[in-house]
Amino acid sequence: MSDRSGRSNIKRVGRRTVLYIVVVGVVLVILTPVYFLVSLSFLSTREAYQYPLPLFPDFTTEFKLERGERGYLLSVYDDQSGEYETVLDTEDMEKVSTYMRTFLNTLMTPEEIQQQVDRLESNITVTGMENDAITFTHRRDLFQNYKVFFRITRDAVPALIRSLQIALLTIIISLSIGGMAGYAFARYRFKGREGLKFSVLFVRMFPAVAIAIPMIIILADMGLYDQPLGLSLVYSVGSIGLTVWITASIFMGIPVSLEEAAQVFGASRLRAFLRITLPLAFPGLAAAAMYAFLGAWNETVSAIILTQFRPTFSVVVYQTLLGSTGQVNLAAAAGMTMAVPAVIFTFFIRNYINQMWGGITV
Amino acid sequence: MSEAVALEGGGVARAPKRGQFSWKAATPYLLIAPVIIYYIFFWLRPVVELVIGSFTAVEGGFTLQNFGLVLQDPTFWPAVRNTTIIVVFSVALEFVVAFLLALLINEKFPGASAFLFVAMLPMALPAMAVAAMWQTGLTSHGWINSLLYYMGFLEEGQKIYFLTGSDLKNLFLIIFVDAWTVIPSVMIILLAGLQNLPEEAKEAGYVFGGTWWTVLRKIIVPMVKPTIQTAVILRLIAAIQIWLIIVMLFGFNRLPVLVERIVYYTDEVPGLYNSYQMAASYTIVVSLVVSIAAIAFLQVTGAFRKQAEDV
Repeated sequence: MSDRSGRSNIKRVGRRTVLYIVVVGVVLVILTPVYFLVSLSFLSTREAYQYPLPLFPDFTTEFKLERGERGYLLSVYDDQSGEYETVLDTEDMEKVSTYMRTFLNTLMTPEEIQQQVDRLESNITVTGMENDAITFTHRRDLFQNYKVFFRITRDAVPALIRSLQIALLTIIISLSIGGMAGYAFARYRFKGREGLKFSVLFVRMFPAVAIAIPMIIILADMGLYDQPLGLSLVYSVGSIGLTVWITASIFMGIPVSLEEAAQVFGASRLRAFLRITLPLAFPGLAAAAMYAFLGAWNETVSAIILTQFRPTFSVVVYQTLLGSTGQVNLAAAAGMTMAVPAVIFTFFIRNYINQMWGGITV
Repeated sequence: MSEAVALEGGGVARAPKRGQFSWKAATPYLLIAPVIIYYIFFWLRPVVELVIGSFTAVEGGFTLQNFGLVLQDPTFWPAVRNTTIIVVFSVALEFVVAFLLALLINEKFPGASAFLFVAMLPMALPAMAVAAMWQTGLTSHGWINSLLYYMGFLEEGQKIYFLTGSDLKNLFLIIFVDAWTVIPSVMIILLAGLQNLPEEAKEAGYVFGGTWWTVLRKIIVPMVKPTIQTAVILRLIAAIQIWLIIVMLFGFNRLPVLVERIVYYTDEVPGLYNSYQMAASYTIVVSLVVSIAAIAFLQVTGAFRKQAEDV
């Protein structure tokens, strides 16, 4: 008896161990690339061209300043080699400042640098040693790559706003139209119900790009080509289908007897729906809205085809990445800007998604 | 519209007089009408135009020449081959790995909520962010080589050139990146299916002398079959349309796949005299492939039969 319980104990401990090894393994595999995307987006350009790339971004830069042949010699501390590496020999403080900003993400005005030069000079006067050197540390501007990304791609800010507009319009269109149909599928038995349900799936089977190409002409006729509303009309085609399926399954999960009970107590059918079913369905509807948002925010193919002078944010990032092989820090910053809103949205709504897929209880 | 339904519907069902219009009977159709109208305008119409476009010569008039040109396109057959390899391997790999992980994790444990969020991350990341992640990783001076160097797998100055070599190797690189993106979310879907299984069903299987393998095959898999179907069909449709990560890592033309060809003809060489026709014909081909694959899958797994039983 005790032998048996001992064995089942060992078995349980073994299962737990396997569970945790798997969980930790999965987490590591997922988070490593994510970590590097974040980390690289903070690297300075100088670091971004190094190999191997630094594992962590530096929050400060350490400088060494001494007299040089043409003026002053500026050296930067290198974590990899553990030594100072000379980067500039000049007396033009403006040039030093620009170098610091462009390659080291360190914002120091020429005046601040001049102060360090004065300190060096007074040191030399005191000690009398010509080759005396001083070191100083300056804080980095962590978001420099993001600022550069938004500055060099002039379209980025308007494109960001446009992408948000498109996502919002897509949510409104697909949730209102798709939600109504989802309710009908869940609550009514009618002729052609199954056929319609499959046609909704069939529409999804058709690749989005198939719609985008002829849509160039159709939207142009409507005066909506290269307009946010035009793109959201295209995105809704994809998200309505999913919304119908999601909302249908949600409304099916809400017992019809609740609505009937409300009607027995004198509520109209519409009122019963608004007061009873809709609040209960809210989590699922939020999940459907999230899918619509993510679909519109992430989409790139149709956006490439259907925009010209008013690209969406994903198109701006696409163009940046396509043209910027080598400068990993800018590519990472662009990718991060794309990722952050999507991740935040997912975070807020994650329980609803789990619920939608059948209620993972945690 | 809903107002009228509400007034008339009342609550207690009234049998409509024969031949008379009844709001109650019309309600579901009225609720569905907007979707149908929307699809006619923004789905059926473009699809019809596309089909017409693919059969129309540049100078007008019916022709089959466009499809002839697609078939003669030197990148067509490589694109078909590459797409097939990606779809077969990525769907199979993703499903098997995700299912195994879900089986192993199918237990409540502290920190499960945080774990689920982490597992949702790759799915939440936009394709462009995923592209940035692997573009910065897979270049010869990228973070993967750097990490391998710090971990001691690479000598000083030694690099792995991920993005060179044979097409097959590059295809598996794409499959790997897609697997990273997709496996966690498929795992969550399957985990949800597994956690809804009644414990008794499994126990009954063991009581009657079933091994782990028989219980898995005869009880667990059939019971989560609807979930598996949903997961696989969505993956199948998505896998046929993988192109962005390929272009981001290899550029156009290096590793042609069907959807990449469409974008190539619309966006990269839009000035070509027959770009529209080429893109339209390629799109028809892709649509056929996707539809056939999806219907074949549903047919094989018996989803149609199940739907029929449900009614």
